[in-house]
Amino acid sequence: MRQLPLISRRVAAAAVSVVLLGGAAACGPKQGGDAQGGGGAPKKGGTLTVLNRAPQKQFDPARLYTSGGGNIPSLVYRTLTTRHRANGAEGTKVVPDLATSTGTPSDDAKVWTYKLKDGLKYEDGSPITAADIKYGVERSFAPELSGGAPYLRDWLIGGDTYQGPYKEKKGLDSIETPDAKTIVFHLKKSEGDFPYFATSTQFAPVPKAKDTGAKYAEHPVSSGPYKLVKNTGDGEQMLLERNPGWSEETDKERHAYPDRIEVKSGLSSAVINQRLSTGSGADAAAVTTDTNLGPAELAQVTGDKKLADRVGTGHFGQTDYLAFNPKAKPFDNPKVREAISYAVNRTSVVNAAGGSSLAEPATTFLPDQKSFGFTPYDHFPAGATGNPAKAKELLKEAGYGDGLEITLTHSTAQNFETSPEVATAVQAALKEAGIKVKLEGLEDNDYDEKIHSVDKQPDLFLAHWGGDWPSGGPFLAPIFDGRQIVKDGANFNTARLDDPKVNDEIDAINKITDHDAAAARWGALDKSIGQQALTVPLFHPVYKRLYGKDVKNVVISNWTGVLDISQVAVK
Amino acid sequence: MTGYFLRRALGAVVVVLVLSAVVYATFYIAPGDPARLACGPRCNPEQIRQVREQLQLNDPVYVQYWHFLQGIVAGHDYSTGTGVLHCDAPCFGLSYQNNQQVTDLIIQRLPATASLATGAMAVWLLLGTGTGLLSALRRGGATERVLTWLTLAGTATPVFISGLGLLMLFCAYLEWLPFPSYVPLTDDPEQWAWNMLLPWAALGLLESAKYARLTRSSMLETLAEDHIRTFRAYGIAERSLIGRHALRGALAPVIALSAADFGSMFGNAMLTEMMFGLPGIGQLLVTSTQTIDLPVVVAVVMVTGTAVVIANIAADVLYAVADRRVALR
Amino acid sequence: MTNTLTLPEPEAEAAPAPASGARQVRRRLLARKSALAAAAVLGLLVLLALGAPLLAALEGQDPNAYHDTLVDSARGGVPFGGFGGISAEHWLGVEPGTGRDLFVRLLYGARISLTVALGATLVQVVVGVAVGLGAALGNRFTDSLLSHVTDVMVAMPLLVFAIALVAVVPADFPRPVLLVVAIGLLAWGGMARLVRAQTLSLKKLDFVSAARLTGGSSWRIARRELLPSLAAPVITYAAILLPTNIVLEASMSFLGVGVKPPTPSWGQMLSTATTWFRADPLYVLLPALMLFVTTLAFTVLGDGVRAALDPREASRLRVGRSRRTSRTSGAGGAQ
Repeated sequence: MRQLPLISRRVAAAAVSVVLLGGAAACGPKQGGDAQGGGGAPKKGGTLTVLNRAPQKQFDPARLYTSGGGNIPSLVYRTLTTRHRANGAEGTKVVPDLATSTGTPSDDAKVWTYKLKDGLKYEDGSPITAADIKYGVERSFAPELSGGAPYLRDWLIGGDTYQGPYKEKKGLDSIETPDAKTIVFHLKKSEGDFPYFATSTQFAPVPKAKDTGAKYAEHPVSSGPYKLVKNTGDGEQMLLERNPGWSEETDKERHAYPDRIEVKSGLSSAVINQRLSTGSGADAAAVTTDTNLGPAELAQVTGDKKLADRVGTGHFGQTDYLAFNPKAKPFDNPKVREAISYAVNRTSVVNAAGGSSLAEPATTFLPDQKSFGFTPYDHFPAGATGNPAKAKELLKEAGYGDGLEITLTHSTAQNFETSPEVATAVQAALKEAGIKVKLEGLEDNDYDEKIHSVDKQPDLFLAHWGGDWPSGGPFLAPIFDGRQIVKDGANFNTARLDDPKVNDEIDAINKITDHDAAAARWGALDKSIGQQALTVPLFHPVYKRLYGKDVKNVVISNWTGVLDISQVAVK
Repeated sequence: MTGYFLRRALGAVVVVLVLSAVVYATFYIAPGDPARLACGPRCNPEQIRQVREQLQLNDPVYVQYWHFLQGIVAGHDYSTGTGVLHCDAPCFGLSYQNNQQVTDLIIQRLPATASLATGAMAVWLLLGTGTGLLSALRRGGATERVLTWLTLAGTATPVFISGLGLLMLFCAYLEWLPFPSYVPLTDDPEQWAWNMLLPWAALGLLESAKYARLTRSSMLETLAEDHIRTFRAYGIAERSLIGRHALRGALAPVIALSAADFGSMFGNAMLTEMMFGLPGIGQLLVTSTQTIDLPVVVAVVMVTGTAVVIANIAADVLYAVADRRVALR
Repeated sequence: MTNTLTLPEPEAEAAPAPASGARQVRRRLLARKSALAAAAVLGLLVLLALGAPLLAALEGQDPNAYHDTLVDSARGGVPFGGFGGISAEHWLGVEPGTGRDLFVRLLYGARISLTVALGATLVQVVVGVAVGLGAALGNRFTDSLLSHVTDVMVAMPLLVFAIALVAVVPADFPRPVLLVVAIGLLAWGGMARLVRAQTLSLKKLDFVSAARLTGGSSWRIARRELLPSLAAPVITYAAILLPTNIVLEASMSFLGVGVKPPTPSWGQMLSTATTWFRADPLYVLLPALMLFVTTLAFTVLGDGVRAALDPREASRLRVGRSRRTSRTSGAGGAQ
């Protein structure tokens, strides 16, 4: 049971992508498959139950991190754009939500203009205006409402020093609202990915008159298909009911089949999976938005045809890897890094991460998906089980012919990613190459703080990284952009790579607004950075989740890798 | 007697204060920066600075602690950005994570924990003490042996295993019980009891062996005491001897320990709460520990500590009442 | 009830100093078959733990070697073959996911679990008895102070505090020692309470009062009169604490603050094994069984030692078994 780990995992949420999943869900049919579960077309009505581990502690649109704030918030908050709710690769596309288009760029993608659709209303019937969206963005700068992604601060002119509308009533000049239906964003630099970022809940409208600051999350004003009726126990028990102000005509993405959605969290993962598989009473119409099947549960489920049909598989863009500090000995020697790349046994690593159904071996840093610009490469071919002979040879060349002793840092949280099992698998493989690995297991908070601190960062550690949206930019830039080495905050460029050529290429690609063209360039960039062996990609995780007997219309996109709750029907 | 209680009450306040200070200090030096954790995964330095200021984390630790104590006594006003949030005494501050009033968080979670502790105590008193008495009075019987093994198995099994076993057996295989999903006693007493049955069993079983053994040795001890033997020599019937005279003395330590354990359940039953998804105080403690949510951690420890201290006073009083040989002092 | 007459006079049994009876104690202990059996089991466990490297060599397995080919990667890493992959090479099968040999890991796990539990119990007994005695025998101020310290300890949420402690202590501090210290120093409150309460009761008893009247010093009374009488409850309680400590170690592993991998411990095995109970039941059953057998053995032995230490108890046992006159026939009764 990983009930504890899951908590630690929520903290590990500090690793961006995981946050993304924090509110997200997963289960569904085979990737790209049609909607499954129960026969017949989906109908409106009924109550959907959500069984979760972590309570939805944050519900303020300013404080949520990911696209749509994850699954449940996306039912309450509509945003300028949103992710396309479709299976597989189709679901990595960005589509308009409140806006009529995904945005009109000008001035080299430094200015983005949006027009709002007609007939948009809040739950109280009042109209949604561009000023409300501007206000929603602004309030996310208030320190009382911290938690969102860093892009607004980094991109908007004046964003780096703005402290939010409570302290600075005047607001941000870089967001213009020439009329009630138009909103214009002025950025410091070109950002071709702006439409993807506009899927965040910071772009959800907040009526200024109804804003209660830090208490807003208790009674947020809904723009989506459901409104929050009850929220007790700190997001542990929630009840969502239909929002009369929402109209299906203005929202092509959300279906909102069930009449009510009841969220029960604080459960252990073993209990959640057991309840979903037993499916008695209300559990038959239940899903989970935060609990994957673990290896043991998978072993059990695959032996049961009926259960196996109720498993949804999803591919979220994420890579788990070994991170070096190439400034520290002995990793300053590229041959040592290459030797370790050769020595790694991805079969045992994958097994430790839950087996081949839950993890796929990785040799590229970018996830193996087109939208990220995936370009295959394997610069240091280790084969399926490692190449210790080649590794020894390189070590000898590097002057470590008599063996080498290094420390590998990992988290003690049992999350099948940065956990002791994976570290031990790496340790066992490197031993074959004559490298003695000492394991340093840190309590999850400690681990998380250390790996993202420039001063305290371990020299070799297990890390994982997921895209804030399915594009090469948010995947590569925080890790390899030299200007994103953060001294006193959370640093993700753990290799401290500051290569002008890489930096320039990142800037150049950011100007491209054609996603496919940009993706190709990201892929090429990944391939060239890969030659430096700054990381050893280990695997891409695969998400498997169970859903209840009566659940229909299961849609799993590659954007989230998990079942989309706005598509689910229980009738 | 009044003097005794006054003294104990004063002692209790001191204990809770010391406890809160120790916890505050420990979590203050524990790794993990609350400002960073509250700020979100990818905060830039400026943002962290603002959040740190907003959470008043720039003051020296003793000033922060003092503000915290002040809030408990006098309440505190907070800015929500758009207005003022009055946090009335006893105000344990706001959660670093989402600005919720800590006092509310705790009050919302007390009933579940209290339910768990009460039921578990009933189980260990019935099963544990019963087994102990049985084995002291008629050793060798089949019932006694089964019960002894059962309680032993309970002690030897971590609650995350016994709990899972019970869930699987009764909810998944036999389907005799629904998967526990906490229903407040005030909403529906019957549903409350059904849903609490397994958590009670899991936690109660864990404690039962301890009580079985304590009861047994205490009973044997008492039976060997002079006055009992004198009674016995006078030919008083065994039943009345045990029922009227021995039981009282023998159960004194059992009752005292039960009271103390009941108190400690408030802070120590987190694994059971997590296993069964009970929205209790232990769960709150674990989750807030992970995010170094200091106000919540310290407040919960103070509340659970108070429960323990009060339970201890009750234990001593009960011991004295049950066993006249012990005086309160 | 006529059996009461067979009881020795109280003076005769309460007075004897235990020192004089060391041989007697051993004799009485040896006479209890249950205790002997328990001691044998524990001895075997200790031997197995000590001989782990030898037995590992005999089986030809290493506790940390991965066997990727023995597990079904596509099915979450469940071992191939029945009963958790038991084979001539792997006597108790292999660990799911990694394919590490379970027999050897269980043996090595015994080392950690037993050491941590024994060490922690020892710390608890020493601290608990010292504080408890100090409180009961000291003056009002000492009692109040020590009782309050005990109250603080008891009031601490143990697991959470242990987590904080483990996080605060540098990562290279030997983890088993840290576990002993964390469990031992945080969870002695119950023992201190018990000792204080027992001592307070004993103080009222005739023989202690008599010793007092004859002018014995507190220390002398503690050593000569109280400690021997406290031995029985203390040992009984320690026998309860021991398995509790093994479980605590398991719970700490469960919370991710146990011994560091790849070092195996039963607790750590149990905590990772829980999800496997359906797909690979043996993986859960093995450490659970070891834990249970150990607990049982300690409990039975604890019983035996207590009975042997306390002659009154031994005689009482005869009373209790009025229906069975033979002492040996009731061996199971004490469990």
